[in-house]
Amino acid sequence: MAAKFRQEMPPPGGYGGVEWSQKLAKAKLSGYRTFGLMAAIGIPAWTYFGYQTTKYRDVRREMTDARIAMEPLYAAEQHRMYLKQLRKNRDDENELMKDRPDWETGKWEGKALYHNKAGRFIPAPLEEYYAHSDALSAQRRYLDHMKH
Amino acid sequence: MAFTNAEWLPTYEELTVPEINMTSAPLRAGAHHFGKYCDEQCKEFMLCNSEQRDPRKCLNEGKEVTRCGIEFFNKVKDSCLEEFNQYWKCVDSNHEMNLSYCRSTQAVFDKCIFEKLGQERPELGYFSKTRVHKTVRPKPKPYSDLPMPAETPGPPKNIDDMETPAITKERRGGFLGIWN
Repeated sequence: MAAKFRQEMPPPGGYGGVEWSQKLAKAKLSGYRTFGLMAAIGIPAWTYFGYQTTKYRDVRREMTDARIAMEPLYAAEQHRMYLKQLRKNRDDENELMKDRPDWETGKWEGKALYHNKAGRFIPAPLEEYYAHSDALSAQRRYLDHMKH
Repeated sequence: MAFTNAEWLPTYEELTVPEINMTSAPLRAGAHHFGKYCDEQCKEFMLCNSEQRDPRKCLNEGKEVTRCGIEFFNKVKDSCLEEFNQYWKCVDSNHEMNLSYCRSTQAVFDKCIFEKLGQERPELGYFSKTRVHKTVRPKPKPYSDLPMPAETPGPPKNIDDMETPAITKERRGGFLGIWN
């Protein structure tokens, strides 16, 4: 037996309206509160950053002061050591070449190495400074210099 | 050797003075007070160096700096040895010898120096800033006062009059050309 015919009808009260508008989540913080939060984080952070910058600048400046204060003491001793070695090199060369009457210390084929009428101080080249030491001294010195 | 026998180099006697036998940590620890104590000598020496650019001519100023340094550290040794040892051991205990980790020992050392030597620690940036120094040492003669060599003769007016210069040994160079 066929069931009783029943016409489908809208729900009681009718269909609701079509939702066509975009749905936005509600903002958790208002604009004023966002700015307030930014200020609350930013102001202490920048203040602390400024404090730290000043502090470490002062620490660096103190260390720079200490280095500058000590520089004359180091330089004085260093100059004396340097001149002593130059003197020693010249004496050694005189001693080494005393049997060669055609050899003049500090000259090559009768001419001085530098045209130095003014009497300027010309620092000796590294190879000449280490001329009477063993073969790798100059290179070791150079490598040591490159480390720092 | 770059120096001939005619050129002046100081003798060993002139170059030998008592030197400071100290390691880096005590020198770093005493740096500010040393700089204040030997201010005049240090400035004189550095001015001499920058004016003369010649270590031979600033030997006496350098010796004065070393003598003053020895005098200062001897005074520290006599009066504030305990405090100084405590301070430099603290300075030595951090790897970069930074003075900022040792404020408490530094205060003790500064107090002792103030009581015994009557010297305060110089303010921050004292050595970094430009300081004026008055000296009686005469100003060195500038190199521009030296007599200049005679003027080089110019080229001839007519190039056909020019002789071909002879090829001398100096012009030719050695057997290996530019490598000689």
